[in-house]
Amino acid sequence: MNALEVKQLIKCFNKKEVVKGVSFGVEQGQLLALLGPSGCGKTTTLRMIAGLETPDDGEIWIEGVLANHGRKMVISQKQRHIGMVFQDLALWPHMTVYENIEFGLKANGITRADRRKKIDAVLHKVNMQNYAREYPAKLSGGQQQLIAIARAIVTEPRLLLMDEPLSNIDVKLREDIRQEIKRIQQETQITTVYVTHDQEDAFLLADKVAVMNNGMLEQIGIPEEIYSSPTSLFVASFIGEANILQVTIAGKDRVLTPWGELVCNTKGREGKNAYLFFRPHQATIESSGHCYGMIINRDFVAGGYKYRVSTSGVEFKLQDQTKHDIGKFIKFSIKKMDILFF
Amino acid sequence: MQKKLTLGVFFTLFLATTFLPIVWMFGNSVYEEGRFSFAYYRDVFLTLKYGKVISNSLILASITTILSSLFGVPAGFFLTKTNLPLKKLFKICFFIPLIIPSYIIGIAWTNLLGKTGFLNNILSQYLWFSPSSISDFTYSIYGASFILSINLFPVVMLVTEYALKSINPRLEESGLVVGSVFQVFRQITLPLIAPAILSGMMIVFVLSLSEFGVPSLLQVNVLTTQIFTQFSAFYNEKAATAIAFPLIVITFILIMLEKIYMRGKSFEMLGRTSSISTTQYNITWLNVVGITFCTLVLLVCVIIPLSTLIFNTKTISAYHNAILLARNGITNSVLFGSIGATLLTFIGFFLGYLSEKIRSRLKNSTAAFIWIFFAVPATVSGIGLIKLWNRAEGTCQFIYSSLWIVILGYVIRFLPLSSRIMANYLKQIPNSMEEAGTVTGTSWFRILGKILLPLQGYGLIATWLICFMFCVGELGTTILVYPPGHETLPIALFTVMANSPTDVVSALSIIIVVMTLLPVGVFLAVSKYLVFKPNQNESVEYF
Repeated sequence: MNALEVKQLIKCFNKKEVVKGVSFGVEQGQLLALLGPSGCGKTTTLRMIAGLETPDDGEIWIEGVLANHGRKMVISQKQRHIGMVFQDLALWPHMTVYENIEFGLKANGITRADRRKKIDAVLHKVNMQNYAREYPAKLSGGQQQLIAIARAIVTEPRLLLMDEPLSNIDVKLREDIRQEIKRIQQETQITTVYVTHDQEDAFLLADKVAVMNNGMLEQIGIPEEIYSSPTSLFVASFIGEANILQVTIAGKDRVLTPWGELVCNTKGREGKNAYLFFRPHQATIESSGHCYGMIINRDFVAGGYKYRVSTSGVEFKLQDQTKHDIGKFIKFSIKKMDILFF
Repeated sequence: MQKKLTLGVFFTLFLATTFLPIVWMFGNSVYEEGRFSFAYYRDVFLTLKYGKVISNSLILASITTILSSLFGVPAGFFLTKTNLPLKKLFKICFFIPLIIPSYIIGIAWTNLLGKTGFLNNILSQYLWFSPSSISDFTYSIYGASFILSINLFPVVMLVTEYALKSINPRLEESGLVVGSVFQVFRQITLPLIAPAILSGMMIVFVLSLSEFGVPSLLQVNVLTTQIFTQFSAFYNEKAATAIAFPLIVITFILIMLEKIYMRGKSFEMLGRTSSISTTQYNITWLNVVGITFCTLVLLVCVIIPLSTLIFNTKTISAYHNAILLARNGITNSVLFGSIGATLLTFIGFFLGYLSEKIRSRLKNSTAAFIWIFFAVPATVSGIGLIKLWNRAEGTCQFIYSSLWIVILGYVIRFLPLSSRIMANYLKQIPNSMEEAGTVTGTSWFRILGKILLPLQGYGLIATWLICFMFCVGELGTTILVYPPGHETLPIALFTVMANSPTDVVSALSIIIVVMTLLPVGVFLAVSKYLVFKPNQNESVEYF
């Protein structure tokens, strides 16, 4: 049984459907990243799970209990037993760190002594035990993040929801906090849904990644699967660096490319037009290659060079450790098994 | 559920206190001798009987709007875009005319420009005006417009300041690298702030259209004074209601036009981030013009009227006499003002929440519906209250003959204002603050008590003070509804004006000024202790 099950969730704002029949499940103790561009409906989905938005249709099940059935909220926020970290953290500025964390415990009727124990324990877990009496405004960005997480997990929720918690902090701190989130989630084994538009966050933190676009779930799977076997053109172009070239299907397993006819498995694809997909690192520059083009730009990146190559006006990206001159005519090959068609 | 119920109760309270009296009054005015009759409305709309009064009202509002803009727009510009010395002092002083009741400024200027006034003497001596022509001008629609523009120019100034501060400075800077300051102002800044200025002008127009105190003081025959005359002199409340109708119609049309015009024209926070500050023009000649202009405005709007009142009182005994005469009024004003301000803040908080924090398609309509009642003239509100509460039965009679009718008058007049202020303060609290409490499953009352109200503390105090100031100065509704023995300070002032020497009237005016300005002064002095600030002294370790 999944700890969280979302079925055919639909949500409209001003008659516009922003979440269009999204379904997914999260296993107990797993971290699922909802990944997608701005406005794709990921935050709305998260807020529906939290009970902050009412779905127009669909079901939400938390640990086998129906939480929402369409517009009907079957169980209240309290009964859902959820912890949430907001994008702006939403730490109450007029309360100390201790009081911020204590708020949810009081709501759950925990005794004073138990509250103290739990708060001490959670502050210890996030390495912030010396800051209990501080006000949030006195803490650094990273410390505030940790307090927001501590506040969300102190009640030992069934489900932890995180809405882009790293979006407002700088790159260096981001890495540190990301590691902390991973450690805390693995230690506590709280089932977590993590909303982000950052692929790095999603791939480094998640057990599973669900890619959303335009209110729909495009693909769900483990990070490696999402990267190496995208099932839609959107996922292929959104995740990592990609070359997507318009080609023509000439017949069964025969494709007309800018480099001539390619015989490969088109996976039963029919119709005239298709898109050929491969990643820059999947191509190898070598004199025996069947594909060709002229280098029109070169950028140095750690560990090699990135090239923009043009063949009959069609541009694409390649990667190589050897330095080639701009204007040079090169040949390269791509493993047929790496090529995908959409 | 708790939230919906509470907000429902407070919206019903708004309907009962503010909406019902007005509707009741209009309903009553079209019902005569057991049948519907639009006779009084026919008089207003289909005959020329009230044409002069209506045109007077429109002229008064138009001139006031133009004059207020001539004072307010440059003042807002100089205080935001230049490096004037004493900028903060100017800013504080320019608030004073808005805070003190308009009729006090009227009293001061009539003392100066009346037949025996100090300034009248000088002008008639050195210029070709006769004393009576100056006095006639003061007691005319133009004099009333001048005084009202002194009272209302801070509205335009504030709107201009806010609009200028809201513009992304990068927009102006990108113009300044290729063009002159004047060109940038004319082609970039001005078009960006124009919608906001127009909106401020509309507020001034509506407020001067519904003003009663100054036209009444200067005996100018406009719609509001005509309503008062019809009601209190001829006891013809139906005619009074019918005369009020054009005011409501004009106001409604203006608000609708403004809403249509402003649609999609909000330049608020135009790509602006908090870290960049407003572009300032550091040009010597502009600073000289600015300081000269602001000093002149300060003289005309604050220093001259207030020093005239102080100078007129001459002796301490004038204050003593004034206090003796208006002792009851002072006590009542403090008591009624405090109760009124407390009720207004409390109900205003929930109405503000309703119009700001509830996500609904009706949100904007609710806010506009509440706000429209601010434009209802004070005299109209007064008649509405009388029509609704003046009955023989127990509770109604108790309310009608006690302080509560005056307090209801304050509520009907200023509830739209207090809810608007509260809505603006609530806007600054991110929704996530409340949601972070909601996900813990705690009750809405606890979220209210532990999160929203403490975060709103500053707003609550500020709203209370603003409401107190307005309540203490309120005249138009109170003059119609106050029961015997429950007169307030403005009523005492208007009574004293008829039969007391100038020094006592001036002394009483100064007392009203002090009563309205004192709470603001105290608030400004102690506000740094009231605003929540964590202790900054202890050392901080960073992650």
